[in-house]
Amino acid sequence: MKLLCIDSEPVYRDILTLCAEREGLNVKTVASYHEAIEAFKDFAPDIVTLDVIIKGGNGLELVKKLKNLSGSRFVPMLFLASHTSDSVMDQCFHSGADDFLPKPFDEMLFNIRLKTHMRHVALVKEMYKKNKALTFFQTMIQREHEMAHQVLDHIQTRSEKNSDQVVITRIAAASFNGDLALVKTRADGARLVFVGDFTGHGLPASIGALPVMQTFFDAVDDLTSLSELAIRINKTLNSILPDYMFCAGYLILLSPNGHFSYWGGGMPDAMIRRSSGELDCLPSRHMPLGVQSTCEFDPSLERDQLKTGDTLVILSDGVLELKNAEGKMYGEDQVKSLIKMSYGDENLMRAQTKTEQVLEKYLGGAVQLDDITLVALRTE
Amino acid sequence: MSITVNQDNRNNTVTISLIGSFDFSLFNDFRAAYTDLDGDFNRYVIDMSSVEYLDSAALGMLLSMRNAIPAEQDIDLKGANAFIKNILMISRFDKRFNII
Repeated sequence: MKLLCIDSEPVYRDILTLCAEREGLNVKTVASYHEAIEAFKDFAPDIVTLDVIIKGGNGLELVKKLKNLSGSRFVPMLFLASHTSDSVMDQCFHSGADDFLPKPFDEMLFNIRLKTHMRHVALVKEMYKKNKALTFFQTMIQREHEMAHQVLDHIQTRSEKNSDQVVITRIAAASFNGDLALVKTRADGARLVFVGDFTGHGLPASIGALPVMQTFFDAVDDLTSLSELAIRINKTLNSILPDYMFCAGYLILLSPNGHFSYWGGGMPDAMIRRSSGELDCLPSRHMPLGVQSTCEFDPSLERDQLKTGDTLVILSDGVLELKNAEGKMYGEDQVKSLIKMSYGDENLMRAQTKTEQVLEKYLGGAVQLDDITLVALRTE
Repeated sequence: MSITVNQDNRNNTVTISLIGSFDFSLFNDFRAAYTDLDGDFNRYVIDMSSVEYLDSAALGMLLSMRNAIPAEQDIDLKGANAFIKNILMISRFDKRFNII
């Protein structure tokens, strides 16, 4: 650490040098205003001491000038003043001084003040360093999230477009989480659906999404059975993801006649809103995908049926855990009454828009913390 | 959020107590809690009675712990509130842990 001592009296330059060097400081001394400015630029001190009266200028002006020159750098400036009146002290602080000691000064007191300033300089330097590192990481993570978003959005474009039978809504949160929804009609007319929610945030989540997408679209082309698809996705994720990552999800195969089979793991219950207004839950009975080995994995399916006017709704936990400005979660009961209310509409897209609007209104001005995915299906 | 580890050598039990929000920020500390132990234990208790929130990253951390510890040694997830217990049950953690 470096100290610049600006004093017109040789004796003070000597005493200060002695004291500061004892504290391990690298000291440079100058005697005049102009030398001081040059030295400040060349020597780039961490701490400055100066007097009110300086050869060739005024200490108050000098301190202003030096504070200005230091820019965003924090350089404590300590007056050792031969004028000791209160008004002079007041002017010093107003001009930008950080400390003030009257001359002749007590060596002990000076040492204590010096150490305090050294500590502050060290702290501020550390803070700048950490701040710089944080800014770097923040920028990097932001980039990664944008990239992950783009990758997932691209995957999503291969999914079926919204229609009277299928509507997918994804509302990405400020901090990106990795929900994935895929729907595709197979050659035999049956619709294959995958709704997934990866653990973790950003890039790691989208890394898992790529092989899932590949497996899903292969299964569409090959008319792979739903159990087999579940086994494949589980196996792929189990082998490529680290053990602390997995994917909760529903896999559904819906025939044109409304009969469907499904596999659910780690997801909030999907629901059927019957045309009568009643709600049936489709429990997700299994562990999430990517947790169990193939021999442990249970690919058994459940079955149900959609009649005309019924709506199958699958939602990610981002909906249930949506928090309003008061920090209160939306919760299961409200989700249920919302689904009962909105999907009474005979137009599926309108029903979905209604649902989105209610959720948006609930969120109010609060920040959405988790991705929201809502998939609604009807039979023809 | 904080983690306290209590080793009971007489009963061969380790209790890891969590307070506050159990999330990604604890990734390293939680792992250290069950890896930096002296001796062998046959029961691990995760005391969750003071956990207010748990995210999916925490579920992953628990699974990672389950993989790191021999299968014959039990891990108890103890004292979770209703909200957290529901999250654990949705992911069927009862298949890997004792939820008590």
